[in-house]
Order: sequence, then C-alpha cells, then structure tokens
Amino acid sequence: MLKLASAFLLVFLLAGSAAPQTAPGRDRVVLVITADAGDYVLAAGGAIAAMIEDGATAYLIRTTNDEKDSWELSPEETARRSSEESQQAAKILGMREVISLGYRAGELAAVSHTELRDRLMFYVRLYKPAVLFIPNPYAEYGEVLDRFYTGKAAEEAQRAAALENFQPPFSELGLAPHIVGEMYYYAQPFDPRRREPESSSTFVPQPKTVSISTVFEKKLRAAQALYTANYSLAMRIKERLDNTSRRLPLLDAVNRESVNQLVEINLRKLAQIAARDTPYELAEEFHYAGVEYQIPSSYLK
Amino acid sequence: MKVRRRSGSIAEPTGTFRLRPASCRLGLCAVVLLTTTVAARAPAEALPLAKIPRGKVFMVIEPHHDDHTTDYGMGGLIARLIDEGYSGYYVRASNDEKDGPHGYPLDDMINLKECLAATKILGIEQVFSLNWRNDYMDPIPLQELRGQLILLIRKYRPDVVLGHDPWAHYDRNPDHRKVARALAEAFWMAGQANVHPEHLRVGLQPHRVPYLFLKARVDYGRGHWPNVAVELTESQVRRKQKAYSAHRNVYAKPSTARSVRRQLADEKLLVPEIEGLSDQAAAVLFEEWHMNWISRKRGAENGVRYAEVYWFRDEFDHLPGLTEYIDRNATQQ
Repeated sequence: MLKLASAFLLVFLLAGSAAPQTAPGRDRVVLVITADAGDYVLAAGGAIAAMIEDGATAYLIRTTNDEKDSWELSPEETARRSSEESQQAAKILGMREVISLGYRAGELAAVSHTELRDRLMFYVRLYKPAVLFIPNPYAEYGEVLDRFYTGKAAEEAQRAAALENFQPPFSELGLAPHIVGEMYYYAQPFDPRRREPESSSTFVPQPKTVSISTVFEKKLRAAQALYTANYSLAMRIKERLDNTSRRLPLLDAVNRESVNQLVEINLRKLAQIAARDTPYELAEEFHYAGVEYQIPSSYLK
Repeated sequence: MKVRRRSGSIAEPTGTFRLRPASCRLGLCAVVLLTTTVAARAPAEALPLAKIPRGKVFMVIEPHHDDHTTDYGMGGLIARLIDEGYSGYYVRASNDEKDGPHGYPLDDMINLKECLAATKILGIEQVFSLNWRNDYMDPIPLQELRGQLILLIRKYRPDVVLGHDPWAHYDRNPDHRKVARALAEAFWMAGQANVHPEHLRVGLQPHRVPYLFLKARVDYGRGHWPNVAVELTESQVRRKQKAYSAHRNVYAKPSTARSVRRQLADEKLLVPEIEGLSDQAAAVLFEEWHMNWISRKRGAENGVRYAEVYWFRDEFDHLPGLTEYIDRNATQQ
C-alpha cells in the first residue's frame, strides 16, 4: 500500500513539474503522431496550428509511407510524392520536423506492436513533449486500421516513456524517462458515441472541443498540400458518380483547383460538425487527458 | 400461436410461463417469447428505414456456415436484395469444423452442405469457402485473409457487402472479430490499385465497395450502433425462417422439442401447433417462430411490420460536406 502511495506521489510530483510546460506559451513541445500524412491534418491540424502560433514547437511522427492512396501511380511514386507533400503540410502548420517511420501503409497489422511502441517511445523521450496528439484507437467506425494500430502503440508509448524499466538501453543515450502532461486523442467525427463522457474522470480522457476559427485557413492550406491523396479521392468520387450516371460540374476537370475546392468543402463541414452545440464557428473534437486525469482525484485533494 | 391450458381454456398470452433455465435454448425461449404480443407501434426513436442502394451484386462475408441468417440479421436483407434484382455471393471464411455433434471432419462437411442449402433458399448464387480452421483463426495473418477478400471483391465487384460489425463489443466469437476486421479493410483497400497490384496482371481491376450493412447483436452492450432498419415483407421473413432452420446440424434439434414438450406437460400446458408433429418438425417450427418473432419485434420498434437493423455505411459517409455538396449539385447524365 505504501509502495502504491509512493508511486502515486511520484507521479504527482513529476506531473507537477511538468505542469508549467502545459501552460500556453513558448517552449512548449508538442509531439504529433499520425498513421497517414493526412490523418492528423484533418482531425487535429487546427489545434496544432493554434498551439504553434502560441509559441509551441511541434514535431510530427508519421508511421506509414502512404504508398497506397493514389490514382494511377506506382507505390514507389505514391510514397515519394506523399512524403514531400507531408513535409509541405507540416511546414504550413508551422511544424519543425517530420519523422517518417516508413512502415508500409495498410500493413501495420503485421508490424510488431512492441517495436512500434518503442520507436514512438524513443521520440517521446528525445523531444520530451508536454503535449501529445495521437490517433484515438477507441474511435469506432473508422475504416483505416493503421490509425488503430498507431493509436494503440502511441498510447502505450506515452506510458512506457515515463517508466525507466522500458528499454533500459535508451538511458545509455541519455534518454531519461519522461511524463507527457497532456494527451489529445483525435479522430474523424463519425463515431456516434464520440461525445459521450467516459465512465470515469480519472485516468481516461474526456470529450473536448477546440475552436479553430482563427487557424482554419492554415489547416485548409495544409490539407490541400496533400494533393496525391486528395486527387485520388476526387477521382474516386468522379468514378462513383459516373457509375451511377451522375455528373458533378466541379469535377468535369479534375485539377488542382477543383480538388482544392473539394478539400475545402469537406474540411469546412467537418469543422462545422465539430462545432455543433458549442459557442464556436469552426472546431475540432478530441478526447483529452490532462494532468488532472492521470492522478486520482483523492490524491489531487 | 396460443398456449392453451390442458383443460382447454386459452391461457393469457403472457410471459408468465417459466421454463427451466438449463434447457431454455432457442426453441424453448421462442415458445415463451411468442406468447407475448409484439405491439405494432413505433417507439420515439425509431431508426430511419434503409433504402436499398442501386446495384446489381452483393457479397456476404462471414466466418461461418450459418452467419447469413442469425436472429440478429441478414437473412431478411439478403432476401430483399434478391427481390430487388441483386445477385448474391456468400464467402464463408472458416471450415465450421467445431459446430455440431459429429466431430471435426463430419461437422465440416455437414455444415457446408447445409450452408449451400440455406443460401439457395435465400437466392444466393455461389458459396466460397476459404476453409480457415474454425475458432483457430487468430494466428492467421490479417493481410492474408484480407488479400483473399480483396481478390473476391475485385472479381465479383459487389455494390453492397454484408458482414459483422468490427466495432461491436463483447462478441466472444473470435472468428467474428477476425473476419470483421479483415472485411473492414478489404472493402476499401480493394479499390486501391497499389494493394495487391499482381491482381491487375490477370485482368482484375480495383473496386471499392460503396455500401456496407454491418450487423452485431444489439443486446451485447453499446458497441454496435444500428443506424437503419431494413423493412421486410412476410415473404422475405419466410425465406429467412426457412434458411435458418435448414441448419439442422446446429439448430432445430429434436431434443429441444422433446424438452419443451416435457416442460409444457409439467406445467399442464399445450401448444396446439406442435401437437401431432414429430420432434424434428416441432423443433423446426420453434426456430421459425423465433425468427418471425424477432423480425416482428424489430419491425414494431421501427414502425413497420417486419424489420432487421444494421449499421449502414456509404463509402463517403466520412465526407459529410462532400456528400451534401454532391446531393445539391450533381445532375443525372
């Protein structure tokens, strides 16, 4: 019992020491983990851009190589273009660096969970973020399971990074245990239960909405930079329309202009959906776990 | 159906008739449940009625011989799709060796035979058996199973795919989870040319499935979130009943009927419809009643006579802004 209490006290003290980092302002490090290049832009790009505008330094870890999602391009060419576009999107949002882990898109089910977790943990210890953005592995009805695998590994990496017995060799490199103060779980807003409070306010994240009205244009430009995947989406829509004998004048010519317009229509609606029942015009939805969610309320008292 | 007192008076159709829990399997429960009137009223939160998408081909992807026609969905929808002009294919991922009383190899063969008979009743054209070992699918690489599904999707190009909901909670059947996961990736990855590009060498083309109907037990907690009710006709429910009871190796067992008869006798009750029937025929009747009852129950919950409920997904549901834009601006060619 004493040991348990001591452990909680240690967590509390460490979290307390991390608390100043979580306040808005300069020197805050934000680490963003994404499966595909576009996932985080669509679901969290605005909140990240706002933090960066507020003085934070942000890094992106992209677990896949995005080699699959394109229209009439080889996997190699798709991966090359997606990588370049991912760099552009991150730059528009103001991120400092993009780290690509290079796993083949759509194949994460075959990747060792522990390996992925430990690679993510490495960067958590290296960059010592105050804020972590991860794909929400509990979001339901998402079709891209790479998000699920990445989210599960990232969630574990956050915990493992704080405990010195995970990957002892890391300490040889000076990568000391690190507690991340804030976690944002992001996902596309089509989980019907996404806004339901979790069963407990301790240890589990709760729904949170963030206004992105002031940074929406930046998020939009970042999303539009991902042209390879966006063009593929536009062609799929056009194909579906053709198959059902319909015509959308916007897609009579599928080019950068029409594709960018599709992206804007999509993004604006997603932001409006997230803003529903809030005072905001445009928003993003998260499940959020701050320091207070990582310590039992009785200890906080 | 009425439950009568042996004295001849008609008992009130209520659920007060209690059966011993140990023997209360499907058929027995059906007797009790059928004595309860299903009110034809729509509750406050009835689901929207699904429109059957325009299309020609559907594919049912499930692990087991009997998953096409469980009480929580599919047989009715399959019959309706057939009635609306679709052709159907059934992909059975496992070999069903565990389900039944005859041991591995015999159950495998009997279940496949009954699967062919049941799907024929529903109007399905062909059954593909992938023959993965029943209940031992966990070690299968997901990509391998997914690759098989992608190949079949590209070959038969379904407009609609039916399967288990991969997000459902508390499904203790490991095959349901595994196949649902593979389906959840296969239906869209089949549309990407960079996935299994070798298929293109032999003439297959990418094909993304536009519509999904996913099922799961709605009484297994909150994981499954039906968003549509599929209205059924009496004829469609009838085919669903027949398809279900065709699985004699696992359902409609004479022992069930014998057990029900014993308990009815203990309670001095009789069910006129089963009087004079063989135990086998009575057991079939119980199963069919159960399927009829659940179809009426789902119908009553959703303001129609008969229904099944599903999570319906259009491939562009995750793009609500674009869907709205297309609805407003697309024109018929």
